Amino acid sequence: MSAQPTTPQVDNDSMEDRLYTVKYSDPGDSHLDVKVPDVCTQCDTYDCVRVCPANVWRESEDGVPHIAYENCLECSSCRYACSHDNVVWTYPETGAGVTYKHG
Amino acid sequence: MTPELDGDAVADPNYDDEFDAIVVGAGLAGSAAALTMANRGLEVLLIERGSSPGAKNVFGGVCYTPTIRELTDFDGAPLERYVAERRFSMLSRNDETAVSISPGEWHEAPHNDSYTVLRGEFDEWFAEQAVEAGTTLVTSTTVTGLVRKNGRIVGVETDRPDGTIRAPYVVLAEGGNSLVSEGADLKATETRENVAVGVKEVLEFPGRDEVIEDRFRLTDDAGVSYHYFGEGAVGDAFGGGFIYTNDDTVSIGVAYRIEDAVAADQSPEATLNAFKSHPAVAPLVRDARTVEYSAKTIPEGGAESIPDLVHDGAAIVGDAAGLVLNNGVHLEGTNMAVESGYHAGNAIARAADQGRVGAKALQAYPDALERSFVVQNLERYAWMMDAVEADRDLLFEDLPRAFADAGTEYFRMDRTPKEAHAENAKRAVLDAVGGWTGAAKLALRYRKVVT
Repeated sequence: MSAQPTTPQVDNDSMEDRLYTVKYSDPGDSHLDVKVPDVCTQCDTYDCVRVCPANVWRESEDGVPHIAYENCLECSSCRYACSHDNVVWTYPETGAGVTYKHG
Repeated sequence: MTPELDGDAVADPNYDDEFDAIVVGAGLAGSAAALTMANRGLEVLLIERGSSPGAKNVFGGVCYTPTIRELTDFDGAPLERYVAERRFSMLSRNDETAVSISPGEWHEAPHNDSYTVLRGEFDEWFAEQAVEAGTTLVTSTTVTGLVRKNGRIVGVETDRPDGTIRAPYVVLAEGGNSLVSEGADLKATETRENVAVGVKEVLEFPGRDEVIEDRFRLTDDAGVSYHYFGEGAVGDAFGGGFIYTNDDTVSIGVAYRIEDAVAADQSPEATLNAFKSHPAVAPLVRDARTVEYSAKTIPEGGAESIPDLVHDGAAIVGDAAGLVLNNGVHLEGTNMAVESGYHAGNAIARAADQGRVGAKALQAYPDALERSFVVQNLERYAWMMDAVEADRDLLFEDLPRAFADAGTEYFRMDRTPKEAHAENAKRAVLDAVGGWTGAAKLALRYRKVVT
């Protein structure tokens, strides 16, 4: 007997594959934005990027996060995470955005 | 009428001034309010922004049903499994120390009113109960704001053409991400100390029969609720992990405060991956396929964060009102959502009967909620968030490790007398809590969790 049983390998999907599991309908325009871009350029914590479970918020060269809104799972964590209250969050309209089958 | 015209007519009927009450959001709180009001003879419009009720909704996994069962015929409800075992588990990096409870009574209907469900199906069913009682449901319609007249809320704005819909009463059941209530200054935006981010996967096990029954020791419709705490669950964050068994899938996830998530060196997704790879968790979920990945925020501010529940012409219910209980042992929201929707619906029905509007006319709702288990429970544990935050390293890191060490020492098999093992085990725990004095203080501080 081995002293340490091996922990079975758990294979996790990539973020891309995980997001593919959720039905998504593109509203056409981003339902997310930043209020004042200058606030982002002076922000050095990127809390929006750190909290996002779907890789929507991404650091970019000019300091204003790139928003891949089509990844959004509509959890709204970025709204609360931003310590500068600089996130614009609106509901995607006419049924667009994510549709969870299970939830 | 031609079919094409029929379609248009269904898509955009004129609902303005046609209803006694409008409910924003067809989740559990909203459908409970709609059902309650429809049962009392009101004309109710239930507006859902998703393409169907539940389409935008995520939760951990257990629906607590004492109120739902009173409100409607529960026989057709799409339940996954009843909760036959609750397990509370402390994880250090490589160890697990757990307590499991599975009373025989839970096997008997109504199974302690605790069932795993999937919200897509369940919320659609519950909204359908409201519709069968006479509620009009519109989906794929987003409420974008409230309509006011002389300060009074008299309706909602929607994203539909000519989307203003007026009605004497509005129930805001829009969930924790309550943009309409906040936009109308009915409540403040919650701080990130009081909101958790949760990520979850629904897993299936392709090509493996009975795998859930075998791994979780289940027969028939029995299921489990496993809660995990400690650094093996969510690192040094304030939160935990969970596993719930559905009929033929497993829900697994983590939830922890956004305040900690932004300070952590890993994303919520990476935290979930680490939890799934813990030696005590991986054997339960190996060889699975991800059916769905989801995320949500959870309002955890407790009693102190409940906003004013009634305004002139409107009531706030469910997650939008912050009605979630998380005291470490109990994680409840569904029951409180339904209870709040029920009381709000009742208050509005009574006001409508009397032809009264205004916040005072709806005061019966907060009064009833305060007398109910909802506010009673939240107030009972109001002290806890601060206490847990203050003791966070102890509770989530030191104690799980100490209990694992104590277990290791207590059951050590060697040629030393057991007296020495017991002494070592005792010392492991006492060292972590600061001796007997520390242990006594800790017990005193948290006595209300169990007693």
